[in-house]
Amino acid sequence: MATRARVVRMEPPAATGGNALLVLVGLSVIFLLIVALLGVAKSGGSLISESNFLYVALIFYAGAGALYMGFGVTGTPLYVRYASVSTSIGLVANTLAVAHRWYLSGRPPFASIYEMLLSFVWAVAAMTLIAEKKFGVKIIGSITMPLAVVCVILMQLLPSEVRPLVPALQSTWLHVHVTLAMLSYATCALSCALAMMFLIKDDFRTETFLAWTSAMVSAIYVAIVATRFERWGGLSVTGWDAKNKADIFLGRGMRLFVTVPDLGWLFVIAALAAIVPLLLYFAGRARKNESFYATANKAVFISILLQLVVVAAFVLRVRDAAYPSPDQDGLFPTSLAASPFLLGGMVTGIFASLLYLMLLWRRTDLEGLLPSADTLDRVTYKTICIAFPLLTGMIAAGAYWANRTWGSYWSWDPKETWAAITWLVYAGYLHMRITRGWRGRRAAYFAILGFGIVIFTFLGVTYLLPGLHAYA
Amino acid sequence: MAFGLSSIPKRIHKTFANLRTGIVLLILVVIASALGTFVLQRPVTDADKLAQAYSPNTLRWLDRLTLTNVFHAWWFLTLLGLVSLSILLVSIDRFPNAWRFYARPYRKTDSHFRGALPHKVELPIKNAEDGLNAAERALKKLGWPAERVAYKNEPSLYSERHRFSVMAVYIVHASLFLIFAGGIIDGTFGYSGFLALHKGQTDNVIELRSGGKKHLPFAVKCYAAGQENYADGSPKKWWSKLAVVQNGKEVRSKEIVVNDPLVYRGLRFYQSSYWLDNRTVDSLQIAWLAKDGKETPLQLQMNQPVALGSDATVSLVDYIPDAFVRDGQVFKKSDDIENLAFGLEVKDRATAEVTKVWLFPAQGAVLGGENLNYQFKNPSSALDIAWVAVTGLEVSHEPGQWLVWAGVLLMSAGLGVAFYMVHMRLWIVAIPNAKGKLVLWVGGQANKNRDRFEQKFNDVVEGIRTELESTSPTQQSARKEQPELTLAGAK
Repeated sequence: MATRARVVRMEPPAATGGNALLVLVGLSVIFLLIVALLGVAKSGGSLISESNFLYVALIFYAGAGALYMGFGVTGTPLYVRYASVSTSIGLVANTLAVAHRWYLSGRPPFASIYEMLLSFVWAVAAMTLIAEKKFGVKIIGSITMPLAVVCVILMQLLPSEVRPLVPALQSTWLHVHVTLAMLSYATCALSCALAMMFLIKDDFRTETFLAWTSAMVSAIYVAIVATRFERWGGLSVTGWDAKNKADIFLGRGMRLFVTVPDLGWLFVIAALAAIVPLLLYFAGRARKNESFYATANKAVFISILLQLVVVAAFVLRVRDAAYPSPDQDGLFPTSLAASPFLLGGMVTGIFASLLYLMLLWRRTDLEGLLPSADTLDRVTYKTICIAFPLLTGMIAAGAYWANRTWGSYWSWDPKETWAAITWLVYAGYLHMRITRGWRGRRAAYFAILGFGIVIFTFLGVTYLLPGLHAYA
Repeated sequence: MAFGLSSIPKRIHKTFANLRTGIVLLILVVIASALGTFVLQRPVTDADKLAQAYSPNTLRWLDRLTLTNVFHAWWFLTLLGLVSLSILLVSIDRFPNAWRFYARPYRKTDSHFRGALPHKVELPIKNAEDGLNAAERALKKLGWPAERVAYKNEPSLYSERHRFSVMAVYIVHASLFLIFAGGIIDGTFGYSGFLALHKGQTDNVIELRSGGKKHLPFAVKCYAAGQENYADGSPKKWWSKLAVVQNGKEVRSKEIVVNDPLVYRGLRFYQSSYWLDNRTVDSLQIAWLAKDGKETPLQLQMNQPVALGSDATVSLVDYIPDAFVRDGQVFKKSDDIENLAFGLEVKDRATAEVTKVWLFPAQGAVLGGENLNYQFKNPSSALDIAWVAVTGLEVSHEPGQWLVWAGVLLMSAGLGVAFYMVHMRLWIVAIPNAKGKLVLWVGGQANKNRDRFEQKFNDVVEGIRTELESTSPTQQSARKEQPELTLAGAK
């Protein structure tokens, strides 16, 4: 067992008093609700609308996330309780949004990526509350609520019109297949969060969390820089046709890219800032010198500030502006809606870094709120025992439906293949656990890897690989 | 051979029949499948898209390494076969033990066994028979079956539930075999293809996706086909009225839509696409003007004469999607709809003289027929031109699919049993305890979900205790005489 060396940590800000943050978050929530209400009243739109409900849900999920962060800063358990309340209210608003969309379109929300994210967020919030009540893991929300917020932000940028169903989607099997998919993905998300909670309770070293978090954030920014850095220092983003609400296409499958000047440098700086903590971690390990970790934590703090600056710069410069393009002469407009996943990736990076800080400052308090490591390990296993049959059902329903629509139950389409890979990975988890007796750390790594593959299957395949499954 | 005691077949068996091999094979399958999603695959990608994505050199290497057709490559199929073999051998290895366990439940206990059980309790009793009866009543009340076991003059009770759950794992793996078998049958004997039918056409030859044609033992006729759109113009529904013709007789008819195919003799016809054939025209709506300027509409079908006034007939004889005129002659340039031209023949009833008139709707021009008494007006919009509807049908024959669905159902059942059926066992023996006093020893075990079982076990013990106390007053005094010994073990 590694010695629990308490790294010399950055002094967390002094506890600002038990209820201060609570009042602050409460007031912000009320303020945002009033502003939204006034906005609706001014524009003369209807109060009861799906986007209003969704916005309310976003406010409350974000409020819950803020309270979890607040707990991270001050260690007041009261915040966790109110965060759970906020999650519940958010779930009610989310349910109303789903119901309203269902009512408007005459079918459950399953037909586009916007609708799938709506269902997914609902399932994640529901799973969070179930985990809190049934398994007693009260701070599971600190991981799942940021995930929900990122998804809702993504949704704001994706086309949301209620479109009538194309012929291939007009089938009951749509409901069966997508319901199973959303439930299984949300359960996998829950198992990943539980596995991370297990690692926290199992004395997984804080600096290793630092390494993994910086690695993830670096990967995001390095990937953005590698694919979008344009000479000399610009960032290339897709053009946006605001009238048709679609990307601008040059030809079949070829999007028009515009170059936002100087933004590329900011991303390079952010990438470097994200790599620095990782390098310091490796240096600390190589030299066996713990003081490197303290510097690494300071570097994480700076990295977060830089990431915030980069996000702000990105939002300000990309939102509704026109830029030159290397492909054609002239200025072309772009918008945040053209780059939902860039923004989503950046926000995920910020959330992950903030969660790390919460762990760094409040690890003991966090552990106090968690059940025993052994319980968390068993609960992760139980959650996967629920997710796996759901995954199986999703694949089976998809195959039967494909057979009815396209005449083939398995055509090695990328989405089908990755769903099968996800299934095999979780089957591997179960085999390792049942037959080989893998418990604890190894099982937790497997569960986290499994969810990574789920995310790739859910979003990566749709946007990075082409195929028949083009709907979502 | 001096390789030790095991022969070659045995060593091969050992190599495949273990979990590590299986895991390695599965990892290889995962990597291969992932490659098959990152590299464009030939069966589903147009050749020009491949040429666009990869340089000729890269493409040549990818082809050589069969990375452009991973899922039909010999090595991939071999991998799948080895995975199946591994599962089969492991199951064969472990099944006899599982079956022995299943078929011959371990009803008797000895002191060693009793010491090893995780959940056990000793309840003091006065009389073995009364104790066992009370236990039997308690079990029945809680819904457990109770079996009397006579062994070595030690009367005891044995109770178990859901013994079947030990077979669950074999059911799940057997279901995988069914699914694989179905897939292999479909890969070998199944086929899929495409059939395009113009409205009114009958055909029995399908184009196979793997290349070549196949003659079906019956023909399919398309009476009509159409497309319905939503208000914004996007397609809502494609439908076809089809009939199956066998030996000249119509044996089945159905209107199919996407998601609802026509099934006949193991072959399925799916509504896949719909388009208008711009190489032929079904009907044309124009008008002709008399000398006095009166305009009469005229509906022409291909090669069908229609009366024109009282002294002539006109028929539509020619249709060119993309025409050009040179030296007064009309020629076809291409099959794309660029410059439509319709050729009409006006036949004078009296003189049998035939005059050719050409209509060019794009320019609103008319060529020929200047001497006629009739003037023709071009169609005013595209709606006046009815191209022939063509319905695109996907045809597939999948004889193995029933094995696949059977496997899927079996797997669901197997997973349900594996995760949710818990094999629980209780043993209740009336024996003297370590101090020599007569006790009712109650022990229990479950093969999963041990914390829930602990709750159930405690319920059973409470129930037995209640029964013991309620039936014999002496039991109560026995309780006062000596304290109960409770040995609750670790989970």
